[in-house]
Amino acid sequence: MAHRIVGKAIGRLDGIEKVSGEARYSGDVTLPGLVWGKALRSPLPHARILRIDTSKAKALAGVLAVLTARDLPNVLVGRRMFDMPLLARDRVRFIGERVAVVAALDPDLAEEALALIDVEYEDLPAVFDPVEAIKDGAPILHENPGAYDGAPPERPHPNVQSVLRFKLGDVESGFRAADRVFEHTFRTQLDHQGYLEPHAGVVAIDEDGRVQVWASNKMPFRLKELLSQALQLPPEQIRVNLTPIGGDFGGKGSVMDLPLAYHLARAIGRPVKMIMRYTEELMAGNPRHPAIITMRTGVSKDGHIVARRVKALFNSGAYAAFKPAPSVNLGGSGMGAGVYRIPHLSIESFCIYSNNIPCGHARSPGEPQMVFAGESHMDMMARELSLDPAEFRRRNLLRDGDLLANGHHLEHVRASDTLEAALKASHWSEPKPGPWIGRGAAMTHRHIGVGFTNARVRLETDGKVSVLIALPDTGTGAHLVLRQVVAEVLGLSLDEVEIEVATTDDFTTDSGVGGSRVTHTGGRAAYHAAEKLKEQIQADAAKLGEPASSLAAIAQAAAREGRTLEASHFYDAKVHGAVTSFTAQVAEVAVDPATGQVTVRHFTTAHDVGTIINPIGHQGQIEGGLIQGLGFALMEEMKTEDGQISTLSLGDFKLPTIQDIPPLTTVLLEDPVGPGPFNAKAIGEGSISAVAPAIANAVADACGVRILDLPITAEKVYFALKEKERRS
Amino acid sequence: MTRVIRLIVNGTSREVEIPTYRTLLDCLRYDLGLTGSKEGCGVGVCGACTVLLDGKMISSCIALAVFADGHAVTTIEGLADDERLHPVQQAFVDAGGFQCGICTPGQVVSAKALLDAVPNPSDAQIREWMVGNLCRCTGYYKIVESVRAAAERSRA
Repeated sequence: MAHRIVGKAIGRLDGIEKVSGEARYSGDVTLPGLVWGKALRSPLPHARILRIDTSKAKALAGVLAVLTARDLPNVLVGRRMFDMPLLARDRVRFIGERVAVVAALDPDLAEEALALIDVEYEDLPAVFDPVEAIKDGAPILHENPGAYDGAPPERPHPNVQSVLRFKLGDVESGFRAADRVFEHTFRTQLDHQGYLEPHAGVVAIDEDGRVQVWASNKMPFRLKELLSQALQLPPEQIRVNLTPIGGDFGGKGSVMDLPLAYHLARAIGRPVKMIMRYTEELMAGNPRHPAIITMRTGVSKDGHIVARRVKALFNSGAYAAFKPAPSVNLGGSGMGAGVYRIPHLSIESFCIYSNNIPCGHARSPGEPQMVFAGESHMDMMARELSLDPAEFRRRNLLRDGDLLANGHHLEHVRASDTLEAALKASHWSEPKPGPWIGRGAAMTHRHIGVGFTNARVRLETDGKVSVLIALPDTGTGAHLVLRQVVAEVLGLSLDEVEIEVATTDDFTTDSGVGGSRVTHTGGRAAYHAAEKLKEQIQADAAKLGEPASSLAAIAQAAAREGRTLEASHFYDAKVHGAVTSFTAQVAEVAVDPATGQVTVRHFTTAHDVGTIINPIGHQGQIEGGLIQGLGFALMEEMKTEDGQISTLSLGDFKLPTIQDIPPLTTVLLEDPVGPGPFNAKAIGEGSISAVAPAIANAVADACGVRILDLPITAEKVYFALKEKERRS
Repeated sequence: MTRVIRLIVNGTSREVEIPTYRTLLDCLRYDLGLTGSKEGCGVGVCGACTVLLDGKMISSCIALAVFADGHAVTTIEGLADDERLHPVQQAFVDAGGFQCGICTPGQVVSAKALLDAVPNPSDAQIREWMVGNLCRCTGYYKIVESVRAAAERSRA
């Protein structure tokens, strides 16, 4: 079906303010009388707080308030499981935990005041490793975690936050039927989402006693609920005002410092701004969970997978508070099955307490970890079976009607087409251009997100159509997508459709941004609202007859009768559909035998996609996710020793730069079968997860060493090469 | 201790009394209300705070405002000509050279400085020059395209 505006490569017209410097992010919000809040953080991983002396800090000129846990109500906060105090009460559980908070006239004074707070601690035994943490006799983080609100019932050890299981068939009998069984263990690192805007928020209590919030948070309505709980206020007393968000990637969904900003604002009667320094982000944000993943797979003589058992240990840190899913675990664990039909499957995922930074959600939560393990494991088995890794995959790919680990069946499965497209584009079967060069393939797939979104479209008296939406702009270009959808439905040009950003006062609910849902749920909400408006416009036009020469005339005629032409739609998708999006990627790398340095010479990414609404935005999601995947593969690591992160700046914690990007070939297999508007699918989380295993597989192909733990640094490859040399 | 300094900000002379410890970035953002420049890393690595001091790129988050006394500062707010975007800004819009936009003021200011110095840069020169501007959203491909397009636009 041909569209006028949907599918057009329109630039980022939604971001003129972003290139001009006028966009106001939460950290840019200013109000009369605004002052600054800063938190004092624990220097110890596990300790009792014996005494806090705030007198010197309080005496510093320009300091307006200093609060400790004793000044606050004893509430625990979280996103699903509520186990985290606003400020540490009697005990700290990780380095970076908030112990006190100050308000001062400027941020430098606030930091000076923090240095004057005297805290006496008594060390407690600590545990950092998830394997150690679930042994008998390990130091216990929380005495009775099962009593926390939202705590899942199953708890094999007090340091287990949650267990998530996936099961197909009968895995024991599956293994009995296998001819060969392979087992490998993989490790992935602690990794920050890397958004360049640290968490920022402003809280003001207005004349009516309402709490006004501006925050880098992607789920305004959930934030309102969470703040209502944290502040013990009725939800209607809180208004969340939406601002652009300077990068999210899963990390911007918690209350973070906002309850503290509120208590400071209440204590001093002035609006309070709190912005985390990037160092604080790296010590106390909510980064991606590190993982230890063991995969055991049984294969038949003819190279078919008959059974798989996966056990994942996620080192979740000191609190479960940052995980939003009802399981309080990582749904990405289900990707332990990969893109393969596995008749007998068992996946167990454990999130474990330790005295480390509490972890949260990051772009496709759990999947980069699981797919690194699964797709490395596939290549290692193919090698043992003397099969081409692509051929081994071909024999096991999902087909129409197959079940995913969660028991959902699939339709329109294009796993095979996607793999073949990537192989062809990457010249997989051609000879490699030289020694120490290798190719590696990896695959994944991802659901199209679900959730609920409100949209209201209105014909304004100037003939333009406004779209009211409570989805914050996290940068994906979603607002432009919505304009394109509405313009398409109503037969308008793009500049006749405007986005109006709502507050939480304008609707009753909305699931916000996340989980690859926005094009689907926001797009469908806007689509159906526009369809309803179109009917109203047509009815009015028919009534008016000849004088209805323009939309403005129709709107003005209605206005004269005291009517407004507007329509709303609440779109609610509760369960993932039977359609997903497949990804197949091929890395071509060169390994320098003298240093172990890995250079990605070329990268190919193939995606089975729905109708593409904005090709520039769509490709931007692919490229951005892919380079995040490249950073995860090769360089990003928050190094931790006894709970102390040593990479506390972006100078030490390395994100990819513009010099790190490889030549890229993208292949899109467009298939308009998605649940989104005009049969769109999702793309935001499709390109990140298979990058690391594609590179790991390419490194193994190039030099014969297999790196089982991320990131794949030059040092690891160098020492693995030395070891290989020594053995031969 | 405070001091009165004079800055020529985007062509306009501004006098401001600030504590001597104030960074140029905080002075621009909080004393002068120019919030276009952003603080990302806070240690001069990410480039989100990039401004031009007498035409040269600096990280304003690690420069003290008092050191800029008497000098000309160009920020992202000073690039557009009245209502018309600077060619670099327009190119970033057209080519999708940003997503969340938090690094964009720094990217655009750096790209402008590049084109001032090298009007017709190769891709390799673009990548070398822009290496001090981190971006987590775009994966950089469209930033390279944007700078290339801006160079072409400036020549036209």
